[in-house]
Amino acid sequence: MSDPKIPVVVFIGQPNSGKSTLFNSIAGHKAETSNFPGTSIQHTHSRVNIEGRLLDIIDLPGTYSLCPTDRAEKVVLSHLFSEKPDLVINVVDASTLSRNLELSLELIELGRPMVIALNMMDLAERKGIEVDVAKLQDLLGAPVVPTIAAFGRGIKELLERVFDVLDGGQSLQGIRGSGDVEDKIAEMEKLIPPGFPIVGNRRFTAVKLIETGGMACGDMLGEVDPQLASLLVSIRKDLEERRGAPAYEIISAERHHLAMKIFEESSRVLRGKRLTWETKADAVLMHPIFGYVILAAVFLAFFFIIFKVGNPLEELLLGPFENLKAALGSRLGDGLAFYLAEGLIQGVGGGMAIVLPYFLPLLFLMALLEDLGYLSRAGFLLDAFMHKIGLHGKSVSPFIIGFGCSVPAIVSTRILESQRDRILTSLLIPFIPCAARTTIILALVAFYLGPWWAMGFYLGNIAVVALIGWVISRFLKEPSPGLILEIPSLKAPRPSAVARKTWLQLYSFIRFAWPILIAGSLVLSLMGYFGADRLVNDILSPLVSKGLGLPRELGVTLVFGFLRKELSLIMMLQALGVEYQELLTVITKEQIIVFTVFVSFFIPCLSTFAILWREIGRKWAFISAGLSISVALALSWLVRLVI
Amino acid sequence: MTLIEAPLNIPLRIIDLSGGEGARRRLMALGFHKNDIIKLDGQAILHGPLLIRNLSSDTKVALGRGIAQKILVEEVHERP
Repeated sequence: MSDPKIPVVVFIGQPNSGKSTLFNSIAGHKAETSNFPGTSIQHTHSRVNIEGRLLDIIDLPGTYSLCPTDRAEKVVLSHLFSEKPDLVINVVDASTLSRNLELSLELIELGRPMVIALNMMDLAERKGIEVDVAKLQDLLGAPVVPTIAAFGRGIKELLERVFDVLDGGQSLQGIRGSGDVEDKIAEMEKLIPPGFPIVGNRRFTAVKLIETGGMACGDMLGEVDPQLASLLVSIRKDLEERRGAPAYEIISAERHHLAMKIFEESSRVLRGKRLTWETKADAVLMHPIFGYVILAAVFLAFFFIIFKVGNPLEELLLGPFENLKAALGSRLGDGLAFYLAEGLIQGVGGGMAIVLPYFLPLLFLMALLEDLGYLSRAGFLLDAFMHKIGLHGKSVSPFIIGFGCSVPAIVSTRILESQRDRILTSLLIPFIPCAARTTIILALVAFYLGPWWAMGFYLGNIAVVALIGWVISRFLKEPSPGLILEIPSLKAPRPSAVARKTWLQLYSFIRFAWPILIAGSLVLSLMGYFGADRLVNDILSPLVSKGLGLPRELGVTLVFGFLRKELSLIMMLQALGVEYQELLTVITKEQIIVFTVFVSFFIPCLSTFAILWREIGRKWAFISAGLSISVALALSWLVRLVI
Repeated sequence: MTLIEAPLNIPLRIIDLSGGEGARRRLMALGFHKNDIIKLDGQAILHGPLLIRNLSSDTKVALGRGIAQKILVEEVHERP
């Protein structure tokens, strides 16, 4: 992927170890090329120049172990095995050292050259943890450099050690555990036949085979070789009988105890200091009453800020596109060229002027809350409510992102461990009013019926999401595995880290969704040019005018609106041939509500459909579309009957 | 007793982790093993999750009741 002479260095660490902050402070100041996200939003790659020497540095997602339990963690493993980095920087959170060392032990077993960044030394100190760095380095056999990434401390020394190891080489000795387990590992090691896909080294491969039975970890399969597979089964069984626990638990416990031992030998904990301000803060933040008061205040402020920032931005950005369109109209006349230009401008304009102004502040605030450590606390508080719809607290953050845009929200369901939870969350996200639909609700319901109606509409929408979740979860036989969510330490967010996170999310959104937005918009314009819209309106007229009681001209807007959802309002005005202020002369308030209900629940947009296809498969993408169509039809018909 | 029945703010020893392999693997990855000393820090309303702190690594996790039910603990009386 890059110049073979430039060493590749990857950053690996547990979630919340400050890994990305460390990466950022190295990539940020000395970047030769600017930071850019890789093929997925999941890793970042940067080429840096450090005192004349080039390095390719790669930031991977946080992982608790090298046996992945969710999709985001699998990225780490496959990258580590396929790219074979020249060096690993293992970022360790000194304030939770003993647990972080479990991953370090796995990495040492893997045996790639490695330097350990003992990060968050300040937080550890506040918690009363004193680490003897020299002793820790001795015990682990790899260089350990204390750092405080947030303040850029220790980075110079870390890079010096990195070059020392790159120049001088390093031989890591896997740290041995209990005798009986070691015997079995050695036995397994001898059994691995020549030609078997060795990962890292023979010992690491043997450990992983015993730990996973050759299945779950990466692509290693004992099944390639049936004889080996049966030997593996007998070794695992031997071990399990002797220790009375499953093989994976024995291996994991070995690492756990080794890590605790190393921690105890290298660190001192001053007891009295343990009850820090954080325990007190958490007692309030997660309090059964105050916790929810604070949560409500945070969310109110969250949405208030988004609309305060988004609204003027939208007006500012939308103007030029409107002018451009008008100017083109007078230049290009009424031919195909005009229709194509119009489709292009509306596609680009819709993405930039309607979605972005709300989406950008939402991403920024989300990143802020996440870095602060508040999102997982919100997950804790809302877990009980999520259970009612068959999910749990970890789905809270994908849902919140869904208020901005469904596309990144669906991508973010990768943090969920179980496929069942991913599917259910991904099916519900399209029903959450995203920025594009919120603008429609505001422009139609709030403007013509008043803000309380809009508020009611919003709450009703959320109630419908809950109801759909409750119904779907009845059909999914498998129960949700339940919540296991780390509550990280509260930290002051670093603006640079928040900005970078926002940019990464935004970039992948632009790259994925905009082309689809523009293509959809072009299709609609072409339909207009060839007169297909009139034909569609004729075909749909029984449904639109008889069923929903709406003007028949709205057929295309309703059904093909998903090609240009963010512009549904403009399409509606064009279809009816009126200006925004004159809307009530051709349509009643009741019709406005029916229209908004339909548009809100119908297939959100082509990009959402595409991302569902990519993330959870074709079958579920079509199920989601079918669900959207039925819910939109049923609800808007019901609303028509009621009002 | 199961973790759900355990008292608040008292050191507890994990004597068994049962439940599905996925949940157990996840718990172990987060640093919770048999014989670890933990503390129940609090619980959310409406049968919500429990807040657990691992005293050896000083890490905190929120655990749903389904999983908490499958963790057996005993009170630790003597301080090591």
